[in-house]
Amino acid sequence: MSHRPARRATARPRTVVVTALAALTALTAAGCAGPSVGAAGGSDEPSAEAVDWSQVEPAKEITWWSNHPGASQEVEQQFIDEFKDETGISVKLVTAGADYDEVAQRFQAASQTDELPDLVIASDVWWFRYHLNDQIMPVDDVMEFLDADAADFQPALYSDYEYDHQHWAVPYARSTPLFYYNKDLWDAAGLPDRGPETWAELEEWDASLKDEVPEKGSTFGLSTGPSWGAWWFENMIWGQGGAYSDGFDLTLDTPEAIAGGQFVHDLFHKSGVATLSADDAMADFSSGLIASTIGSTGSLKGALDAAKFEVGTAYLPDGPQGGGTPTGGTGLAIPSSKTTEEQLAAAMFLEFLTDTENTATFSQSTGYMPVRTSAVESDTMKATYEETPQFRTAVDQLADKARVQDDVRVFVPGADALLNDALEQIVIEGADPATAFEGITPRIETAYTENVEPYLDPQD
Amino acid sequence: MTTIATTRAPEDPGAPPAGSAAPERTEPQRLRRSRLAAGRRRTALLWALLLAGPNIALLLVFVYRPLVESLYLSTLQWNLGSPTARFVGLGNYVEWFTAPTTGRIVLTTLVFTVATVGGAMVLGLGLALLLNRKLRGRGIARTVAFAPYVLGGFAVGILWLFMFDPRYGLIQELLGWVGIASPQWYTGRPWPLVMVIVVYLWKNLGYVALIYLAGLQAVPQDLKDAAALDGASAARTLRSVVLPLLTPTTFFLLVTMLLSSLQSFDTIKAMTQGGPLGSTTTLMYSIYVESFVNGRAGYASAVATILFLVLLAVTAVQLRFVQQKVHYA
Repeated sequence: MSHRPARRATARPRTVVVTALAALTALTAAGCAGPSVGAAGGSDEPSAEAVDWSQVEPAKEITWWSNHPGASQEVEQQFIDEFKDETGISVKLVTAGADYDEVAQRFQAASQTDELPDLVIASDVWWFRYHLNDQIMPVDDVMEFLDADAADFQPALYSDYEYDHQHWAVPYARSTPLFYYNKDLWDAAGLPDRGPETWAELEEWDASLKDEVPEKGSTFGLSTGPSWGAWWFENMIWGQGGAYSDGFDLTLDTPEAIAGGQFVHDLFHKSGVATLSADDAMADFSSGLIASTIGSTGSLKGALDAAKFEVGTAYLPDGPQGGGTPTGGTGLAIPSSKTTEEQLAAAMFLEFLTDTENTATFSQSTGYMPVRTSAVESDTMKATYEETPQFRTAVDQLADKARVQDDVRVFVPGADALLNDALEQIVIEGADPATAFEGITPRIETAYTENVEPYLDPQD
Repeated sequence: MTTIATTRAPEDPGAPPAGSAAPERTEPQRLRRSRLAAGRRRTALLWALLLAGPNIALLLVFVYRPLVESLYLSTLQWNLGSPTARFVGLGNYVEWFTAPTTGRIVLTTLVFTVATVGGAMVLGLGLALLLNRKLRGRGIARTVAFAPYVLGGFAVGILWLFMFDPRYGLIQELLGWVGIASPQWYTGRPWPLVMVIVVYLWKNLGYVALIYLAGLQAVPQDLKDAAALDGASAARTLRSVVLPLLTPTTFFLLVTMLLSSLQSFDTIKAMTQGGPLGSTTTLMYSIYVESFVNGRAGYASAVATILFLVLLAVTAVQLRFVQQKVHYA
């Protein structure tokens, strides 16, 4: 019979082998490529010698890793086709992840292999890590050689990638958080057709708005999560005069920073103006459940398409100490380990992608901000702003309110996720802000001393 | 050997009469035979190497090499992707044992594992007992029950996420019919963990049921008939006849389910990303977060080594103690 003792004889060794092998696979979860072990942990490699780009023949085929921000796969492919017609260089578009983090994780995992792309998405919280790891090259020289007119990039956006007097990426799908509101509900509540100028004003408006929102809905809704919560919260902490850090020095224990935490705490747990969206606040907003929210510029096109009401966009409201909007989104970087031929071809494509006309086309089809000043004034964008004035808000907000993000969030690996953790403690569990901030402080400090400090050049 | 030598000895032309000094007389035969056997063993070994060699090579390259490399990486402080690293000895292990988050991660892993393995075993057996009955449409029911197991974990997670939505998901609608307000599945602890457990259970139930069903069908009918003749109730037959005969199946499922549960990743990644507030971060998921989100590849390798040791210990304990209770008919 099938269940006779014969099985006993074989079950033991076979099970041991099978289970041991299964267990071993757990160990393959971490990376496999080996680093060279040095005493200081920093890079000892001398900076690359200047390349004479005029002597370099561009490669005929390159690869681009993208997550197609703002559902841009089609328009990205269209650029690729046009570039091929113009230069004869083929670009292979690879969907390397669903979001910036996934692309970055794949890029990290592929480092020191020959599977790296020639052009890669480098988001606000990732590009610096690429740079610390010597994975990307400065673009200044090659962009100058290509007459890419770097001065025409929106200064607030291009300077985000500056470190060590060099630029390590070029702005591509750049965004700011925007205040989105449901114009129909605003109208029904008898409110003026604009966003609130201050958070206090939104709290005032709540009285008339909450009667208009559907059951289970609210005046204002937000969602949290990695690469998201700690981004919009910068507006609130700045609004109280605080910040995450001053340079790399954490300032989460200052009264102003704690006031920022208290503000968001009260927004959810005291005034009750805000509710936490279960998954995606933009989805709750587009479905009419919440009357307003904070969303990325990159969500604008999707919101306009999805919502059955008129969508309004406005600057993020101010706090008592002002406020401001952090910039965000992604740039594009060129890996340092590729051949100069591949790098030149990648730079040519980069220059093509971000020229005035293509910048405008990309912005128009996604809602991301035009990264070139000349594109803002182009006929394409002018026509777009006339037809859909909501697109204009982000550009104006950038000029009026943009503020460079706090170093700790964008430069310290894992700090964004930890800041989001503290924010979730406050928002979800009603934790005391000072305690929540205190809890993450040593972990961010460890991340800095282990993962940033040893890699910084002494002269920095 | 002795028997053969004894029976074949008389056929030897020069064989002495039975009963004389046999050992001396059969020595050359023994030698020849042992040489033959050695030759055969060598050939067999050669064949074994030839046939198993490619697989062994693959295992060495893709399993054991990363294992050793990961052990080595666990002694480094290394930013994933960086060309350089620093040797820290057992520093990463010390950090793990003293980190404030470790207790929570271990507890979450324990709850998740016990709930998914225990739940899948009990419910899977129940489902198998149901499917083992002579019912109309049994074939379709079996297929339906098994189908979730072959679906991708990530896709399953995303689909269930919609159903759990506390505002407009299917589950809040169903709960609404019986007057229960939906729990905050995404945000209110411990509901996110419950949600992930439910989905993991749903996905793996069909597999457990299928294996149990095979075990049930191997239970001899005559034993069940004999129990019935002795007046045993259905419950008593299940307890005293069927379940003891199912112990090899139970043991097999326990080992495989424990290993897969401790290593589960896709459902958590798709549904909660370990959050909120780390409430669904298991040991396995923390390896991913440390390595790919925080970029701390050395520390992540140390956690991976710890997980490996846990899996090894769990398996060893099962082999040592649980298997003793296995009843082979």
